[in-house]
Amino acid sequence: MTSAVAAGETAIELTGIGKRFPGVIANHDIDITIQAGTIHALVGENGAGKSTLMKILYGVQKPDDGTIKVNGAEVSFATPSDAIAHGLGMVFQHFMLADNLTVLENVVLGAESLHGIGDDARAEITRISEVYGFGLDPDELVESLGVGERQRVEILKVLFRGARIIILDEPTAVLVPHEVDALFENLRRLRDQGHTLIFISHKLDEVLAIADHITVIRRGTTVASVLPSETTSRGLAELMVGSELPSPSTEESTVTETVLLAVRDLEVTDEDGRQELAEISFDIHAGEIVGIAGVEGNGQTELVEAIIGMRHLSRGTVTMSGTDITHWTTRQRRESGIGYIPEDRHRHGLLLDSPLWENRILGHQSRPPSVVGPWLNLRGARADAERIIAEYDVRTPGVGTNARALSGGNQQKFIVGREMSGDPKILVASHPTRGVDVGAQAQIWSHIKAARKDGLAVLLISADLDELIGLSDSIRVLLRGRLVGRFDPQSVTPQELGSAMTGAGDDR
Amino acid sequence: MLAFIAGGFVLLSAVRVISGADEITSSGTLAVTLTATMPIALAGLGGLWAERAGVVNIGLEGMMIMGTLGAGYVTYHHGVLAGVLGAIAFGMIGGALHALATVIFGVDHIVSGVAINIIAAGIAGFLAEAWFTDLPGGGPTQSPSLADPGKINLSFLSEPASNLEDKHWFLVSDLASVVEMFTKNLSVLTLLGLALIVGSFFLLWRTRFGLRLRSCGEAPEAAESVGINVYRYKFTAVMISGGLAGLGGAYLALVSTSGFQVGQTQGRGYIGLAAMIFGNWRPTGMFMGSGLFGYTQALPFRDGTHSVHALLLVVAGLLVAVAVIQWLKGSRRNAIISVVLGAVFLTWYLTTDIVPADFTKMAPYVTTMLVLAFAAQRLRMPAADGRIYRKGSSG
Repeated sequence: MTSAVAAGETAIELTGIGKRFPGVIANHDIDITIQAGTIHALVGENGAGKSTLMKILYGVQKPDDGTIKVNGAEVSFATPSDAIAHGLGMVFQHFMLADNLTVLENVVLGAESLHGIGDDARAEITRISEVYGFGLDPDELVESLGVGERQRVEILKVLFRGARIIILDEPTAVLVPHEVDALFENLRRLRDQGHTLIFISHKLDEVLAIADHITVIRRGTTVASVLPSETTSRGLAELMVGSELPSPSTEESTVTETVLLAVRDLEVTDEDGRQELAEISFDIHAGEIVGIAGVEGNGQTELVEAIIGMRHLSRGTVTMSGTDITHWTTRQRRESGIGYIPEDRHRHGLLLDSPLWENRILGHQSRPPSVVGPWLNLRGARADAERIIAEYDVRTPGVGTNARALSGGNQQKFIVGREMSGDPKILVASHPTRGVDVGAQAQIWSHIKAARKDGLAVLLISADLDELIGLSDSIRVLLRGRLVGRFDPQSVTPQELGSAMTGAGDDR
Repeated sequence: MLAFIAGGFVLLSAVRVISGADEITSSGTLAVTLTATMPIALAGLGGLWAERAGVVNIGLEGMMIMGTLGAGYVTYHHGVLAGVLGAIAFGMIGGALHALATVIFGVDHIVSGVAINIIAAGIAGFLAEAWFTDLPGGGPTQSPSLADPGKINLSFLSEPASNLEDKHWFLVSDLASVVEMFTKNLSVLTLLGLALIVGSFFLLWRTRFGLRLRSCGEAPEAAESVGINVYRYKFTAVMISGGLAGLGGAYLALVSTSGFQVGQTQGRGYIGLAAMIFGNWRPTGMFMGSGLFGYTQALPFRDGTHSVHALLLVVAGLLVAVAVIQWLKGSRRNAIISVVLGAVFLTWYLTTDIVPADFTKMAPYVTTMLVLAFAAQRLRMPAADGRIYRKGSSG
């Protein structure tokens, strides 16, 4: 274990770091100084070079130029083991945990020589868990843990190995808002105990809330170093993309009188008969965006699945343009003009190991241009995938590329393009811009706004309150499976929405 | 799990007393059961090692065939100790081939395994003809008679147990049969096999080596991210897997019979794999599954028409037990189906005295299928089992 370094000293100093891959300059002229005992945020768009830089710092890749100093001494890491030996630790965005092993087994794996694999290790894990308030039971299976707890297991793994400098790669990307708060609480406690934290993110509000220092990376190099007190999230965003930003706001109302989707008294129960949704009634008109706000887990997923036909209603009706579609299958609903952007693009939106043109057919397997008579029309699907790639600015080498190879933002743009194909009348958009960078976010917003202008009815579910307020014509709040409030986005503030979401606000 | 075994045993004992079919728990039947169980269990243990490291080993059958061949050839020329080691080595050759294909070259595990089964059967047939045809007592499909690896007799325990068994008392005599099974003519290889099953449990679940090996079967990316050489652990596991299957082959050639024969594995590698799945990838469960298969294979040879007839009553009893459990769980429909099926088996039992001889051969499989279908199971295989892993996938 590296000895604790007093706050104010330099923990890490990167000077002139550069890294080139064939045909790409991932990093050049990167200069960052990180004070010990602080939370230092690294922000930048997807693909700006944050991850490469952190891989260099963690010894996964070797830099072509520049020097790395840890605690004042120049170092050169050949493998992550070298970095670990110097007191560095990394918490990956995609957790490196085995579900069927216990917390204890996951933590000691690969570091068995420190405290064995028995009671000594158990005691050490319990000690760390108590010191930092993680609340983890060493003998619980990781499988039964929530996302936030799994992340704490990852942090515990790093601490168990004696790390004093911890790199967190987009730690909040997978968390829901109250888990983010818990994580920040843990991070502050770690900092107060003398740890140095490097926080990588593109969520600017969170960065402003947690960081002591911020370094902005754009196109592979450091462009600014700011203090959170001296900037705003808009200012940071402009530093990140290097230009003025569009806002989500819709300019003028396009709401018409035609009701396209009407939900009446909808109720959904789970397998054990518990109510998940009850007394849900609302209308969406042509050209209207209805936003659903709520803390995750209050019935949003169930509502979306009920409307799209993936969940059985225990009572209530769903009507589309006056036709009762309550008992229709998902395919019938989609064929009759409902588009669906699922909340989890990897699990529901795409076949990751299939090429884009095959993904174009998904959900359209019964409609042109993907079919001719009883046969799939491969040429048509390819041509239409090309159209989506062009219209929606999907950055990909071609239609034959597997979906997995695209970045999250480009995957999402492709899904939006697909769901907008065939001129849907209704779009159910569940977290349409989750985990995508500000550039892609702006593009997706502009597509939704354009479709709204053409008379699309949109049900928008989002955890991003600015997105909800900016895009929606009307906002409903979902709390414990019921619609508890109705707000006008012109006048409501995020604070008012937030208190309604947690049940603190008035029921209007 | 102990309650499960105990409950089954009491049921068997009760059925024996009611039906008078003494063979269903006689020491003779149990001894045959143990002999039939061990090769299946050794194959199952081999499967468990490989799959815990994330490699599906359907090539167990082929590695077992290699084991029988190795046991036959090496035992004849160099004695029984060398023969057992030779069988393990031959099995390991199969394991090494499977490891090379699946771990290093990333071949689909099923494709590689099936290929090994076909190759092994071919090689065994060819080499048997080349090696054994001209030997005294040998032939193109069988080796000469081979030496026995040795048996353990504890007559001070087995004789009183035998006397007790002959009294045919409820439960007491049945337990005496069990004691006799373990104290009379117990093969050294049986003992070795049992020790390996217990040892595997400790090695895999109580040591650092075992934790690392299992982590390769659960989350190889995570294992690599903490500096574990995933390929090495997988390779080791599949080699051990082959060695265990080879030992199972030695058991067939040296204990179950007294010589190598072409085709003597009769699909026990596959049955071992099934036993391992039945046992939820755990050694105890795997051994119980093997025992179930072994018992149903042994019974037809022990006064089969009567024993299997008594088994009808056992099945009826099991179905009633299932019905009660299902009723308590609140699924009435399943409970009623179980009761009706139980009544059918009971009627069959009551209206007949024996089952047709042809049926006795089928009974093991019917019983096994019924037990597998009704054993309410929540199986959980290693998360990355059967997945091809490429180095550098983490990070």
